[in-house]
Amino acid sequence: MLFQWGMSRQKKRMDVKQEGPDHSGEASDVPQEPLSAELAVNIDIIRQKTGESNDVVIRRFALGQEWQIKAAIIFVDGLVDEKNVYEFVLTPLLQASFPLALEEKERFQWIEKKLAAVGGVKHISDWRKLFFELFSGATVMLIDGVPFAISASTKGGEYRSIEEPQTQIAVRGPREGFTESLRTNTAMIRRRIRNPNLWLETMQIGTVTQTDVAIMYIKGIANNEIIEEVKARLRRIDIDGVLESGYIEQLIEDQTFTTFPTTYHTERPDIVAANLLEGRVAVFVEGTPFVLVAPALFIQFFQAVEDYYARFDISTALRFLRVLIFFISLVAPAIYIAATTFHQEMIPTQLVIAIAAQREAVPFPGFVEALVMEVTFEILREAGVRLPRAVGQAVSIVGALVIGQAAVEAGFVSSAMVIVVSITAIASFATPSFAIAISARLIRFGLMFLAAMFGFYGIMMGILVMTIHLCSLRSFGVPYMSPLAPFIPTNMGDTLFRLPTWMFRERPRLINQKNIVRQSGDQKPEPPAPSRQEKGGGS
Amino acid sequence: MRRAITVIVSLAICAGLLSGCWSQKELTDLAFIVAIGLDKTEDGKYLVTFQVVNPGNVAGATQRGGGAAGVPVSIYTSTGDTLVEASRKASEKLSRLPYYAHTNLIVVGEEVAREGLSGVLDAMERGNQLRPTAHLVIARTYLAKDVLTVLTPIDKISANQIIKTIEFSSKNWGETVHVDIWGAIHCLATAGRNLVITGVTVEGDLKRGKRQENVQSSVPDARIKLEGLALFKNDRLVDWVDGPSSRGVLWLLDCIRQTNLTVSWKGKKEAINYQVVRAKTDVKAKVKDGRPVISVHIQAEGDVIETRVPIDLSDASMLFQLEKEIKKNLKQEVEEAIETAQRDKTDVFGFGEAVHRTDPRLWKKIESKWHDRYFPELDVTVTADMYIRRTGLRNKPYTPRG
Amino acid sequence: MIGEMGSAQTDKGGEIQLERIKINARQMFVLIVLFEHGSAIVIPLGTSAKQDVWIAILLGLALGLLVFSVYGRLFRYYPDQPLIVYMQRIVGAPLGKLLGIVYVTYFLYIAARVLRDFGELLLTFAYPETPLFVLNAIMALVVMYGAYKGLEVLARTGELFLTLLYVLALSGFVLVLVSGIVDLSQLQPVLEEGWNRVWKTVFTETLYVPFGEMIVFTMLFPYTNNPAKVNRAAIAGMVFTGVNLAVIAAINMAVLGPDAASRSAFPLLDTIRRVQVAHFFERLDVFFMIALIIGGFFKISIFFYAGLVGAAHLFGISRHQRIVYPLGLLVLLLSVAIASNYAEHIYEGLKIVTFYLHIPLQIIIPVLLLVIAAIRRRFGQSTK
Repeated sequence: MLFQWGMSRQKKRMDVKQEGPDHSGEASDVPQEPLSAELAVNIDIIRQKTGESNDVVIRRFALGQEWQIKAAIIFVDGLVDEKNVYEFVLTPLLQASFPLALEEKERFQWIEKKLAAVGGVKHISDWRKLFFELFSGATVMLIDGVPFAISASTKGGEYRSIEEPQTQIAVRGPREGFTESLRTNTAMIRRRIRNPNLWLETMQIGTVTQTDVAIMYIKGIANNEIIEEVKARLRRIDIDGVLESGYIEQLIEDQTFTTFPTTYHTERPDIVAANLLEGRVAVFVEGTPFVLVAPALFIQFFQAVEDYYARFDISTALRFLRVLIFFISLVAPAIYIAATTFHQEMIPTQLVIAIAAQREAVPFPGFVEALVMEVTFEILREAGVRLPRAVGQAVSIVGALVIGQAAVEAGFVSSAMVIVVSITAIASFATPSFAIAISARLIRFGLMFLAAMFGFYGIMMGILVMTIHLCSLRSFGVPYMSPLAPFIPTNMGDTLFRLPTWMFRERPRLINQKNIVRQSGDQKPEPPAPSRQEKGGGS
Repeated sequence: MRRAITVIVSLAICAGLLSGCWSQKELTDLAFIVAIGLDKTEDGKYLVTFQVVNPGNVAGATQRGGGAAGVPVSIYTSTGDTLVEASRKASEKLSRLPYYAHTNLIVVGEEVAREGLSGVLDAMERGNQLRPTAHLVIARTYLAKDVLTVLTPIDKISANQIIKTIEFSSKNWGETVHVDIWGAIHCLATAGRNLVITGVTVEGDLKRGKRQENVQSSVPDARIKLEGLALFKNDRLVDWVDGPSSRGVLWLLDCIRQTNLTVSWKGKKEAINYQVVRAKTDVKAKVKDGRPVISVHIQAEGDVIETRVPIDLSDASMLFQLEKEIKKNLKQEVEEAIETAQRDKTDVFGFGEAVHRTDPRLWKKIESKWHDRYFPELDVTVTADMYIRRTGLRNKPYTPRG
Repeated sequence: MIGEMGSAQTDKGGEIQLERIKINARQMFVLIVLFEHGSAIVIPLGTSAKQDVWIAILLGLALGLLVFSVYGRLFRYYPDQPLIVYMQRIVGAPLGKLLGIVYVTYFLYIAARVLRDFGELLLTFAYPETPLFVLNAIMALVVMYGAYKGLEVLARTGELFLTLLYVLALSGFVLVLVSGIVDLSQLQPVLEEGWNRVWKTVFTETLYVPFGEMIVFTMLFPYTNNPAKVNRAAIAGMVFTGVNLAVIAAINMAVLGPDAASRSAFPLLDTIRRVQVAHFFERLDVFFMIALIIGGFFKISIFFYAGLVGAAHLFGISRHQRIVYPLGLLVLLLSVAIASNYAEHIYEGLKIVTFYLHIPLQIIIPVLLLVIAAIRRRFGQSTK
């Protein structure tokens, strides 16, 4: 029902957009009109439009043997590779003798030839395009007497270099992670999948920011309907700025009113490549190392990339462990509350007496005690995440010593409670995906509340509602809980179980529908035939 | 709009529902009753004794330096016409809510047992707190109250001490039996089987046993001890059996796991000790000339663990002889038990049940007169197979040569 | 499923419209298994047959399959319509509508009864101080939420919870065996009082609950995407459940003995309470509670959903979501109001409901419908 609300609101918003004023911001006063033929006028307009920002460098020069043709190049300092600009744009032009007799059109061809050393030479005739190119890192050249501009791609400037990803760390596996540069990121995928079928489509989203957003998929493996759906949803976005892929994520997900992530984000190129091979679609956003992958399934958030690099048996065991971990981080405090305030009969006698002994001096009811400790822990965690590393350590010391030990010693909380909170905390850190750990955090408080009201009945009801909700979710049309529900036996090999690699014959059924077979079925490694072995032994 | 209303209505319902926590009970508001004792007062009322844990004084609390000095349990008594009444009345003395879910021991006074258990078991079965797995013992010679007041050294809570003693003793020695509430009711409700319950008594000075000093001495002034088996007829206690014949009863109930049998060898008494490691008893009923006949077959294997006479145990024929000797010994034990039960006219072995299973029609006819008429005259044949599997680390005992 | 993708974001509500949901045969099997287990595993099912309870359940299953063949045949005649719709075709609109109303009422009433059972059980064994209304209301809210989300979601939820239930059942089974409380001799003597007692139990209890209750699935069969497989899935589900229930009942009997088992309000709970393994696996009441909640939820949900869909069809409501709230509230209030105490509730269940509702609605009317439909078909009067 909440969803219905969301829907009607969305409709309203779209109505407003059609009727209301254009809200796309400053960029809109850039006229779509053609450039002037006079250089001085053009330069004035640029100066004026950019508010004489001094990072917009305008360099005038003259062309031709007599230096009688005035020209200028314009670029944004910091966005371009200055060495490129001088070496490959300016120098060739200055060194060459400019044939005066040429017609307007021929002048351009001549210039284009001279600029062969740099790529992406374009003709520009209107202001909007000029500014877009300029702020994308191109060098724009204006020539007196010509109502056109030429832009040459000189993208450059400082980017963070490729580093090991901060999240999703793997012991075994590639060490490189995505950077803020979209191009670097797409190149990392290209390097992994050398196939012309790896298609990349780019669009600009954000009426003010004009951020590059790229969709990548493998033609022939990815489901066309999903590709179209992703594109359609991206096209529908009408927002002033996109600063992180999170913006996109929230605008294209199937359902907003859920704590569960319905798209997957990652910093690791190997994960993206693997997902592309399974037929998913990746969305890259300029300016963030986090790449979105859709459609996402619930089970994906329990699969670490290392599962595929390590042996299958250990990976399977670890996946079960992770689901257990998720469950612990979800219900541990709730079970503690339910067991100690409702169902004391279900705890073994020795244990219940031990817990009762600890609680003897605690002045709060069990629920309050648990709530206080959980909130305290969340505060500590939030402090630890946001603070600079040096201070963060101090926080953890204060947290561990003062809150933990002192509270127990003072008798404010029982040590059993501290144990439960710590286990929950560690469990929530151990979940491989931060996105799913966060949703567990929120639900945990709900379950604690239910447990305080109705004990195990409340917890079970909460879990039931949560499961119904999970089963009703879809990610780009694919049921979120598949292949568990709806149950797809052939895809069970890569869910909680991770079968040996040679058994992964098929891609996920609901994601790809046509190109399902991914490898031949007779790949089981076997020891060499006995005769050869004997030979080897003999020699 | 309507949708908004329904949302608000359902939220309001939720809020209304969530405003109370009905069945909630905080740990600090509960008095964990670990054992209940039942006696009769002189005016015929029940005297109920509650052993309540004092959580601050048991392990776990000691790390906080709480009150290692105090006693771990505290005793409350109250009287009433019924068990439930007495337990409600106990709240006059208890500062907390009596909580029975962790009551693992029920001690029934001998007097109550002789008058009949039926008056007390229904409440125990019906209530949802008391577990059906709570152990049942009969206080012998002393009152149930006395038994529960004795402080014990190793397991601080005396209820636990008694339970563990029953468990390990029935496993290793086999003269005690573990009966829980459920089992007792099951026996009472079954026509062809009567109840056997272990007895418990106090050894030493009862008065000093109640003090903390009792557990501070290496030889406590008073100790709790298991003693004998109480034989019931219907719901009334009729007789006690002790020693070997109590083990005989347990052989017949197929309750023996491990035990020791001592046999004489070539005239020397108690010369060889045989340890049973595994045992199984089969009771079969047959009908002969319209009368039921029972055959009991006992099978056991075990080791020789002690010899006090020179005997060559590597000789297989010796072992066969020894097996025969053990068999004789066992048969005697079992037959003694049967005789006792037949004398008391109570079929505690479940022979009636065996008859019921073999011939339901005959059973219908004799059911009502089973314990009084048929059982005492029942023909029971006991056969046994005792195997000696191993003889320990030595084949022959050493010969003392001065 | 991808087909609906285009509309997945903005048109989610439309997706669960009555006509468009489709579940597959496996999901139907899962729903049937959960539904049939429902309350049957927790209530004393057929215990009046004493140690022959398992025979009574298996006979109930056999006869239940016979009754089901009637529903199956009707479904084969009208593979794309629920009971309430084809009924009107068979006996004509006015009478069909009337019968439809009777059936919708019946489904909702049974939903309320199961809800009451559920609340009473929970109240007796774990929440003695909590008002019945509160416990029922929580469950009713969750059921309403599930029904609102629709059959597809219920089926998927079922797939997850059946796994959970089965893991629980198997571990419970192992624990019961390991703790050594099973005494198979308690199942003897077999057929002590002849077949009479068994047949009596079959015809008063086990045939109708849970096997005759399969009538409710005649409302859901049209929503499967492979009608050819539905009957097989349903029969497999019934047999699977029947065998499971017989095993559970036999274990209860072997653990508790005929006397205690037939006196017990919840034999399974008593069995679980007796489990003691290694001084740690004891006090496992929570197992029972989870089984109770899962089973109860699916049983109530399916009855409720069938009632919901039936009412939507009868009154021409295009989206069943619209009547979830009023009908849910009705079921909730009914569950509290139908009886003033547990004994009365059970009496109604065993005497009145069986004879005045189960027998006519589960057996007599479907058989009559089948006969009329077959005659019409033979003489070519089918309005198809």
